[in-house]
Amino acid sequence: MTDVERIEYTPVSVRETLIMMKDISELMIDLAYSSALFNNKALAEEVMELEDKMDTLVYILNMNLMLAARDKNDAESLAGVAKVGSLTNNISDAAADIAGIVLKDIGIHPIVREVFQRTEEHLARVWISQDSILSGKTVDDLELAAEVGVDIIAVRRGRHWMIKPEKEILMPDDVLVARGTEEGLKELVKAAKGEESDLG
Amino acid sequence: MADIQVFEKITNDLVELKDTSEMMMDLAYSALLLNSRELAEEVLMLEDQVDNLHTEFELLVLSSSADLENTRGLLGLIRMGVVTERIADAASEIAEVVLRSEELHPILGMVIQDAEETVERVEVPHNSPLVGMSLKEARIPEETGMWVLVIRRGNRWVKPKPSLVIKVGDMVIASGYAEGEDDFKQLVRGPN
Repeated sequence: MTDVERIEYTPVSVRETLIMMKDISELMIDLAYSSALFNNKALAEEVMELEDKMDTLVYILNMNLMLAARDKNDAESLAGVAKVGSLTNNISDAAADIAGIVLKDIGIHPIVREVFQRTEEHLARVWISQDSILSGKTVDDLELAAEVGVDIIAVRRGRHWMIKPEKEILMPDDVLVARGTEEGLKELVKAAKGEESDLG
Repeated sequence: MADIQVFEKITNDLVELKDTSEMMMDLAYSALLLNSRELAEEVLMLEDQVDNLHTEFELLVLSSSADLENTRGLLGLIRMGVVTERIADAASEIAEVVLRSEELHPILGMVIQDAEETVERVEVPHNSPLVGMSLKEARIPEETGMWVLVIRRGNRWVKPKPSLVIKVGDMVIASGYAEGEDDFKQLVRGPN
C-alpha cells in the first residue's frame, strides 16, 4: 500500500513556490541521470524523495493560485502559471522514471555510459584528496559555476549523501557528483587531487 | 560489423534525444522569460523532430537482436528514451502556454529570472572582443559556465553551431547558473 496523505492548505508565495519547483525539477533530472550513469541506488532514492516533495508542492501551489484569482482575467492568466507548475512536476516524474530504472534493477546498458560521454553536459564523480584546495571550503565559497563552469549536485561523505550542498564544508575523502563542461570537470578533478593551487 | 553500427546509431540517437530535450526546456523557459512566440514556435518544431527521432530510436533498440542476452539493459535504454521524450513534451507544453496567452502572468518571467538556472541575453557591441570569433573560439561555457541557447540576428533565430561566427548586433541568449551571469555579460560586452 502506498501512503497517500491529505495535503493541507498552507499560504505560500506563488512566486517562491514555483521557483522552488523549477529548481527541484532540474536538480532531480541531474540526480537521476547521475544515478543511471553511476548505477547508484542511493542517488536514485534521493530522487524519489524529492518527487514526493514535488507532489506536495504542486497541490499547495494550485490551492494558492485558486485563492489568488479575483476575476475572469486573473483566472485566465493564473491558469498559465498553474500549467507551468504542473509541467515542472511532469519533469520530476520523468526524473523519477530514470531513478526507477536504477532502483528496480531494470538494467543500465553499456551504451548509457557512452551516451553521457558525448552529450553536451557532462557528469563526473570527483574524490577529494588530503591536500586538495577544495577541502575546508564551502561549496558556495568555491563559486565553481563562475570559476570553472561546474555545478556540484551532490556530495557523499561516508554513507551519507548531501544533496545540492551550499554551506557545507568540504572534507578530504568526500566524493562530489558534479555537472558541467568537460574542461571544467577536468579542472575540478585536478583541484580535487591537489594538483592545482588555484581554480579558474 | 552490423551490430557495432547499430550500437553506434543507438548511441547517437540517444545523445541527440537527450541534448535536444534539454535544449527545448531551456528554450521553453526562455520563451516564458522573453514572452517570445517565435522561441515558443521553435520549441514546437523541435518537438516534431524529437518525436520522429524517438520512434526511430525505439525501432533500432528493438531490432538490435545481437544483444538479446541483455534484454534488461535494452529495456533500460527504451525507458531512457521515453524520459527524454517526456521532457520534450513538457517543454512544448510550456511553449504552448506562451502561444496561448495574450498576456503572460508576470510571475512567470520573475520565476525564470530568479531561479538558480537563469536565462540572460546580451547584445554584442561593436567593440566586443568576440566579434569575428566562432562560438568555439569564444569559449563562452568554459569562461562563464553559461550555455548559448540561440542567437538572434536581425529577425532570425540562429542555432549556436560551434562554427558560427559572432557578429556585431547579435543578441546572444544563454542559460546557466545565476553566478555566471556577470561573467557572461562581461565576456560579450568586453571592457567598456
